[in-house]
Amino acid sequence: MKRYSPARLSPQLRQPATTSAMILDVMVALVPALGFAVFFFGTRALALCAISMAASALFELLYRKLTRQSNTIGDLSACLTGLLLALSLPASSPYWVPVFGSAFAIIVVKQFYGGLGKNFMNPALAGRMLAATLPTLMTTWPQPLQKLSLGAVDAVAAATPMASLHEGTLPAQGLDLMFLGTRGGCMGEVSAFALLLGLAYLLLRRVISFRVPGAYLGTVALIALAFAPQGVSRPQWAAYQLMGGGLLLGAVFFATDPATTPVTPRGQLMFGAGCGLLTALLRAFSSYPEGVGWAILTMNCLVWLLDRVGLPRRFGIGNFAATREAFAGMRASLAEIKFVIPKRQRKPDRPKQGKMPGEAYLDQIRAHLKTFGPFALVLAATCAVIFGVHALTDLDTARAETQAEQELLTQVMPQADHASETPYRANGAISITAGYTDQGDLVGYCVEVQNNGFGGPVTMVVGVDLDGKVTGVAVTSHSETNTVGTRAMTPAALKRYVGRSGTIRASGDNAVDTVSGATATSRAITAGVNRALAIVANLDTEIDISFSDAP
Amino acid sequence: MAHTFFGGVFPATRKSNTRRKPLSKLTRPPLEVVIPLLMSADGPSVPVVRPGEMVSVRQVIAQPGADGGAMAHASVSGRVAAIENRPHPWGGSSLAIVIRSDGQNNPWSGSPTPKEPKDVDLELLVSRTRAAGIVGMGGGAFPAWEKVSQAAGRVDTLIVNAAECEPYVTADHRLLLERSEKILRGASTLGRCLGAQRVVIVTEGDKLNAAESVERRLRRHRSSAQLCTVRTRYPLGAEKQIIQTATGREVPPGGSPLDVKCVVFNVATVYAIQDALFFGHPLTHRAVTVTGGAVTRPRNLWVPIGTPLGHLLEEAGGLREEADLMLTGGPMMGIPLQSLDAPVTKDTNSLVCLTRGEHKPQGNGAVCIRCGKCVAACPMHLAPTFIRRALDEGDMARLARYHVEDCISCGCCSFICPAQIPLVETVARARTALEKGVGPR
Repeated sequence: MKRYSPARLSPQLRQPATTSAMILDVMVALVPALGFAVFFFGTRALALCAISMAASALFELLYRKLTRQSNTIGDLSACLTGLLLALSLPASSPYWVPVFGSAFAIIVVKQFYGGLGKNFMNPALAGRMLAATLPTLMTTWPQPLQKLSLGAVDAVAAATPMASLHEGTLPAQGLDLMFLGTRGGCMGEVSAFALLLGLAYLLLRRVISFRVPGAYLGTVALIALAFAPQGVSRPQWAAYQLMGGGLLLGAVFFATDPATTPVTPRGQLMFGAGCGLLTALLRAFSSYPEGVGWAILTMNCLVWLLDRVGLPRRFGIGNFAATREAFAGMRASLAEIKFVIPKRQRKPDRPKQGKMPGEAYLDQIRAHLKTFGPFALVLAATCAVIFGVHALTDLDTARAETQAEQELLTQVMPQADHASETPYRANGAISITAGYTDQGDLVGYCVEVQNNGFGGPVTMVVGVDLDGKVTGVAVTSHSETNTVGTRAMTPAALKRYVGRSGTIRASGDNAVDTVSGATATSRAITAGVNRALAIVANLDTEIDISFSDAP
Repeated sequence: MAHTFFGGVFPATRKSNTRRKPLSKLTRPPLEVVIPLLMSADGPSVPVVRPGEMVSVRQVIAQPGADGGAMAHASVSGRVAAIENRPHPWGGSSLAIVIRSDGQNNPWSGSPTPKEPKDVDLELLVSRTRAAGIVGMGGGAFPAWEKVSQAAGRVDTLIVNAAECEPYVTADHRLLLERSEKILRGASTLGRCLGAQRVVIVTEGDKLNAAESVERRLRRHRSSAQLCTVRTRYPLGAEKQIIQTATGREVPPGGSPLDVKCVVFNVATVYAIQDALFFGHPLTHRAVTVTGGAVTRPRNLWVPIGTPLGHLLEEAGGLREEADLMLTGGPMMGIPLQSLDAPVTKDTNSLVCLTRGEHKPQGNGAVCIRCGKCVAACPMHLAPTFIRRALDEGDMARLARYHVEDCISCGCCSFICPAQIPLVETVARARTALEKGVGPR
């Protein structure tokens, strides 16, 4: 029978939330956690987040521009990745670490797979776990409430609750402190309260469903209740397990990332339970106290399977038919796993007819360049950004350098308080710096010279005061034999030059004896000191520096 | 009642514009009514009057043809002006009987006699329903007498669908509130004739005054009918979902409600049936909600079938701002209106005029972020995002495993999709592709 029915439209109403609004909602849900991070760790937390978000957005823009794809900054997903990445780092991390992490997250994990929605791993989490492999980064945790300065960081390592949980004992912090967040840990994970606020917001806005966080936290809680260690109260142990480490941050924000979690409700439940099981196992049996990150990344890799297994039961068929169908579906899914052997190309591409023999190959090279050029550009730009931030902000290295210079100055010119560069250049001098007292009076000049010793060049800095007298000698680098050549470099040996002026000779008046067994080195140092004295005497300065050669 | 259905969405109902406005008659009766011959899902009827003939109210003007169709009756008295092609709310145009009203509304003398509920049996029910030209008034326009005769003796549950899950529309709400006595009488008679042990009236939580009115009458009459009030959720009014909600049974794939011993009648259909049984009135009037942000005075109207929709709009004060989209049947599953000259048909429950702000047109769709909201919203347990991907990849073997044919086109997936992907259309395309057995390209 022919049916007459109107042509219907799809709904003319829509729910108001678009993709970018959803992502913005997740960022809003992170605001409490960010606020607590700033409260506990100071403005450095804010700076880290800003740098991380900016870097993520920049890498996204760079990649899309250089590979000539559409601009996707507007969907805010890159900013969210940056924010999540920063919040899962310790507040004491150097500024280049989130930049490095977001480069990996955005370019390798997200864009190489085709961008938003096509990546199979959570970009922020992958970037964070890569950064976690950097030495000492994830083992020093700043003390909460000790506000870190924007610049250099002296992180007092605070014991995280996870460390004691890993040993099977309850941490020193009370549950109230755990809840509010006065404990060591990553920026975003310390305050369970802030994260629960975020969870409530996301649930109310229907951005996420309770399936994944519920299954995740529920599994961890059940396992903790069942397997609490001897002599520890079970509910307390479970509460510490739930609030400790990055579990809440992971369950609420990382495990609910839409692109990398199963689509189907049943799959989401299985995903959450799997994450919980893996987290509990990793916390108990791995050598690290925390396992949330690896658990979620591992389950991310299983999403394709959970998607298939979790397909909703067909409407209107009985339980028996549903079970049978589930098995059939599973068989079909297994059949889909194929081991693809790439076909080996037998013949090289023949140059086309009608062209010069070499030109076809040149064309090929051009084509390859066209294909891979953007990637090379992306790589170069990424490296430039990472190392740029590193050079600009790695204050630890810069401070270490200043400190070394200061130590050198006190050794070479004890009277001087600080040194500054001079415009002077002289033959044989690597650098000439001026030393000043704290009142700003000129004390003398420090000359860096080099001379050939026994095993190679010996670099030393010689301080000469305005009377033309040596104030101190320091060897900065050498390649002399240890214990033999270095005998001539002991503080006592170097001290013999102090107060000398003019030309120092090996014997006779104004002589400094060579150290036995280290003759060549001694001679090299003496020659260096002589050269420095001569250089200083010949400097074209306003003050005449005396140079008396042998009375 | 612990039953529920899976999925669903929660569109803003926006019923407050009209939910307190009683069903009112037109202040200015239409000068001309246009009664389309196509008002039933099984085919057009055949006219039995000729142009120039005088007709009275409730007079038969068309009867079923060779290939189906429903009886049609004059809803005003006057002269048949023409039988010609006129715009049809379902789209396009169809043959229609145009009656120029004389304003007298003289009743027809040939109407059947009213009956008492106890005198009604199945035979009378079927013949009266057929003679009154009653079709499904919730939007399906399936002939009610066929449903009655098929269901007789094969069902144990009669469900009266008063869910009205479409946003904006309040016609059924007002009908249930104002005429609950008659509806209850009709429902219990219908249940008795069909042999149903259980009569359930399913309504939603946003019609609590109607639910209360029904509840009071149920208690007063010690009726065996039940009232089931559930939380407002779209698409509760869909046949399979309302059966699942009321009884917990699932209609098997490709099956009909009879397979699970249920039959569903819209509340307006039940009202029309009782009107035909106990008053001898054929289906000539129905409740229509004229609403939407663009309408000056949204209201519920009791209108003669065949009234042009433009006339209803004038009755509601016209448009106060430009309407971006006008449709009949509610914004979720409604039919876009091509012309305001199209008349009210037996299944038209509303005229909704959406402003630019309310109407969010279908986007082309951004990138799917795999949020899974479409899967969680599909009341038919489908996975629209997988269907879309399989269709895009042209993987027919995989597509066949996703039960595309189960789709009821409720539009939950399109509604919920944050990337604004037109999923309903995609699933429809997938269904066509599967039927043809070839890929989309």
